[in-house]
Amino acid sequence: MPNLRNALPRFLFTPQSTAWLSVLRVGLGLQVFFYAVSLRSDWIELLAEGNRGLIRRDLMEALLSVESPLIPRVGWVVEAGGWLHLSETNVLWLLWGGLLLASLFLVLGLFCRTVSIIAWILFLCTAKSAEPFGYGVDNFTIIGLFYLVIAPLPDPWSIDAWWRGISLKSSSLQGLHRRVLQLHICIIYFFSGLAKCAGRGWWTGTSLWRALTRPPFDIVSPEILIRLGLLLPLLGIVVCVMEATYPVFIWPRKTRLIWFVGVLALHAGIGLMMGMYLFAWVMIVLNMAAFGPGFAFEATRFSFIESPIKSRAEPSSI
Amino acid sequence: MLKSDKLPSVRLAFFIVQFTCILLVSLNDTFSTFADSSTLFPTVLDKFWDRAAEITLVPLGQSLPETNAIRQIASAYLNVAGIEAGYSYFAPNIPDNYKIVFELYYPDGRTEIELPRVNGRSAGLRFATLLDKMTETEYDPLRTMMVKMLAFSVWQDHPSANKIRAVLGSVDLPSPAEFRLGRKESYRVLFAYDFDFSAAQPSHP
Repeated sequence: MPNLRNALPRFLFTPQSTAWLSVLRVGLGLQVFFYAVSLRSDWIELLAEGNRGLIRRDLMEALLSVESPLIPRVGWVVEAGGWLHLSETNVLWLLWGGLLLASLFLVLGLFCRTVSIIAWILFLCTAKSAEPFGYGVDNFTIIGLFYLVIAPLPDPWSIDAWWRGISLKSSSLQGLHRRVLQLHICIIYFFSGLAKCAGRGWWTGTSLWRALTRPPFDIVSPEILIRLGLLLPLLGIVVCVMEATYPVFIWPRKTRLIWFVGVLALHAGIGLMMGMYLFAWVMIVLNMAAFGPGFAFEATRFSFIESPIKSRAEPSSI
Repeated sequence: MLKSDKLPSVRLAFFIVQFTCILLVSLNDTFSTFADSSTLFPTVLDKFWDRAAEITLVPLGQSLPETNAIRQIASAYLNVAGIEAGYSYFAPNIPDNYKIVFELYYPDGRTEIELPRVNGRSAGLRFATLLDKMTETEYDPLRTMMVKMLAFSVWQDHPSANKIRAVLGSVDLPSPAEFRLGRKESYRVLFAYDFDFSAAQPSHP
């Protein structure tokens, strides 16, 4: 019994290396950077008020208010800009520039905490105001940014730590925060896999075929896909099984590397074969942060990343 | 030196709340998906899934009236943490593919066909999501309003058109077996809307 009572705190507060936090910070910084860059040419059309946008932002924000008036939105920023006599277009471009700047600071690790909060709020505003255009990538980016905001920053690879001399937080606190991310990722895959398992098409390969031939994800020609033959049903089953059993097989040392590499390959495949590069990237970052350095590779002969200020961190373990 | 190693019990309590929310939202999404979609489960279970989905909403405050402060605070938290939606992407089945086409009518009797345009591929992916949401919404006035906004954005580029018909349809893609037999995709009209722009003025940025 005492062993059982101690098991949970031991599991949650096991000291961890801080490399995961560096991966999360840099990865999300790049994610936000490419999000802003990829939407630059449609930025105003996606977020403009009145009849200038594809979908009126003010009406979408009115619907958001029905859900909750407390959800951050671009309208608040535009209103604040109005006090400074800035036009809506100027505020929208300032918002875009702010996201870009915050993402670069995140990548560098300069003023980590402040910048992660700014990036999170600005990203929330744009994602929520353009919610009709949103898909899974926005949710996963917000999840990542939310965990980054509350994470024990800075990490040893940030400028804050090695140049500004800001001290690192305790490694058991690092452990708790990483566990939270790990458990969340497990829940994501379990429910995603479970829902897929309930669909007949995932067992016959039809769903995979439809996913890959459905515009605008139809990057690979159907003539090539049809040659895969029985491989399609097999891949469909692998996706279902790998996702649904992820929370079971990602923990034991014997199966960890297979599931970890398998899921990374799955997301790389989604990126390359469906053109969902940002979605693929954010999932790879979340997986790498949760189960990557200091976890998947620690028990193997691979040496992964050496912390620049390793002496401050306590030894890592699972 | 590292900072204090005290066990952060406040954080632990917060994470317990966070995980309860994630689990409830995920369960709600899964049950709703099972109830509304064609699955391997017998249809007799649909009522059970519906009921289970309703139950999971209660602890999240989502069964309270929309103006209730607790519901609004809970919704705001779920949104800012990115956990307001479940994870049944592309499941249990791949959704239909939708397409919107605009027929522009001019006073001189000419007609033109126009497709909505975005500049980048990233926005193109998002536009496909918009079409899915527009078509799948059960609230017709919302769909009409969104289609009208898209029609207006097309009309801004063609201000001499006096009427636009927006046709929202589903693209039926062939299965692998049908594709082998040479069947191509087909288009099925789901909704059509006529908008009169004869009295409208284009707006300028």
